[in-house]
Amino acid sequence: MGAFELICPAGTLASLKAAVDAGADSVYCGFRDETNARNFPGLNFSRAEMRQGVEYAHARGKKVFLAANTYAAAGRFAPWKAAVDDAAAIGLDAVILADIGVLDYAAGRHDGLGLHLSVQASASNPDAIRFYQEAFGIRRVVLPRVLTTADIARLNQEVSIETEVFVFGGMCPMAEGRCALSSYVTGLSPNSQGVCSPAEHVRYEERGTQMVSRLGGYTINVFEKDEPAGYPTLCKGRFVARGKTSYLFEEPTSLNAIGMLPELKAAGVVALKIEGRQRGRAYIQQVVSAHRAAIDAFGAGRAIASDRLGAVTEGGRETTGAYTKAWR
Amino acid sequence: MMDDDPRAEPERDDRILETMAARLALLLAWPLPPALLQPPLDLVMAILKRRHPGAFERLTELPEAEIVVDPVDMPMAFRLRLGGGEMRLSVCRRDDIGEPAALVRGNFAVLLDLMEGRTDGDALFFSRELTVIGDTSPVVALRNAVDGEDIDMLADIAAMLGPFGRLVRPARGAASRARSSLVGLHDLLLGPALRRVEGVERRLTRLEGH
Repeated sequence: MGAFELICPAGTLASLKAAVDAGADSVYCGFRDETNARNFPGLNFSRAEMRQGVEYAHARGKKVFLAANTYAAAGRFAPWKAAVDDAAAIGLDAVILADIGVLDYAAGRHDGLGLHLSVQASASNPDAIRFYQEAFGIRRVVLPRVLTTADIARLNQEVSIETEVFVFGGMCPMAEGRCALSSYVTGLSPNSQGVCSPAEHVRYEERGTQMVSRLGGYTINVFEKDEPAGYPTLCKGRFVARGKTSYLFEEPTSLNAIGMLPELKAAGVVALKIEGRQRGRAYIQQVVSAHRAAIDAFGAGRAIASDRLGAVTEGGRETTGAYTKAWR
Repeated sequence: MMDDDPRAEPERDDRILETMAARLALLLAWPLPPALLQPPLDLVMAILKRRHPGAFERLTELPEAEIVVDPVDMPMAFRLRLGGGEMRLSVCRRDDIGEPAALVRGNFAVLLDLMEGRTDGDALFFSRELTVIGDTSPVVALRNAVDGEDIDMLADIAAMLGPFGRLVRPARGAASRARSSLVGLHDLLLGPALRRVEGVERRLTRLEGH
């Protein structure tokens, strides 16, 4: 491990191997069910695949974390219990959780299993983080993407556990774990079923040279010929307000803070997370390699190459997001 | 491998050769009657089932759906029926696509790279090199199932051909060496001339600076 622990996504066993081979220190992934926030068709791991992935990573000195970070359904707790129990049985290094019921279960049943607080918990202040630390013994918190580097530095002075932040990938402009935009339109929840803009509710249509993006029967965006596109989420839809069509919440763009490693180090961040369990293994290989090189260069005091990832960004655009935001 | 990695260039050139060979094979086969075209496509499905049972199982377990894959730079399109316990690939004319559940459209090389996990589908969609029309659910499932496997069609076909398949690896090596020889010949013949042109350009740049 270098100046930071590099945490990389994997939606398939092939992606996990690609991430490990490209220089990940740790890989996060989920089971093929509603317990994880990337519950997409054909994605994620069976128990057997998870076992193979853990063996592959551990044989190379790398860690694997289980994301079981959706909120459990009342009266139907079995899938989340099974996810935590199986993570412990398979030998995963930590579980990434958000639901206090699941955290309580994991803390009470599996002493040695590391607990990380998911970004889905949206714990963005010292009081919230201390609560999870004191109640469940979490070792690490993944900070929501709403804080500036100055906020993170102040927060790290007040908490005694490790902090992990997103460094690259899709942006979630809402309060994570609290967003109900997709639920309103599709009836399925990103927070409790792991499906933001579920594929079965997404349709694309051609209208002349335009591409129309529809979610749950509603048109949410229209792209002109060759205009860069984004994910079919409501938060990145274009809407008419006061007679003007525009992106109201967030434009299609990807976070890229690879050039901010010095600021994040100074702010006390321990681990950097790459978003994208839904992406192909070519993305994993390319993005993980670039970050491995950047972290190693930073650790050795060399210049960081930060201009290699434009081709894989959403909408062909990059942002440093809240890390450098000037407004409050 | 990063695009600016010098090692990527020979690999990229070899890939171009393989793509050209696949394209040529399809173009030569295209005028054949459907009864002759179908057996090789059935073989491709058999290869997938034998060599990548996990992906095959995931795709056959889906609800029944038909996806048409339309390589825009080829005269034909491919119709893939998946779900309901089986999977079938057939070829069709572009004007006979009908109304599939979903249509995936892009250049042949892009689609081949996508099938072998050499490129990221989301990035292609963002840049509009890949178009998806209709229901995205079977397309996402197909993409994820295929991306989760180490598919190398040439190697897979070689493995299915038994003794004849042993010829594929040397053929690949020969093609790669032929490419290297051509590059070497190109450098030998044009190198001195190119260096002289570069020298003239540098002198002109210096003169413009004064």
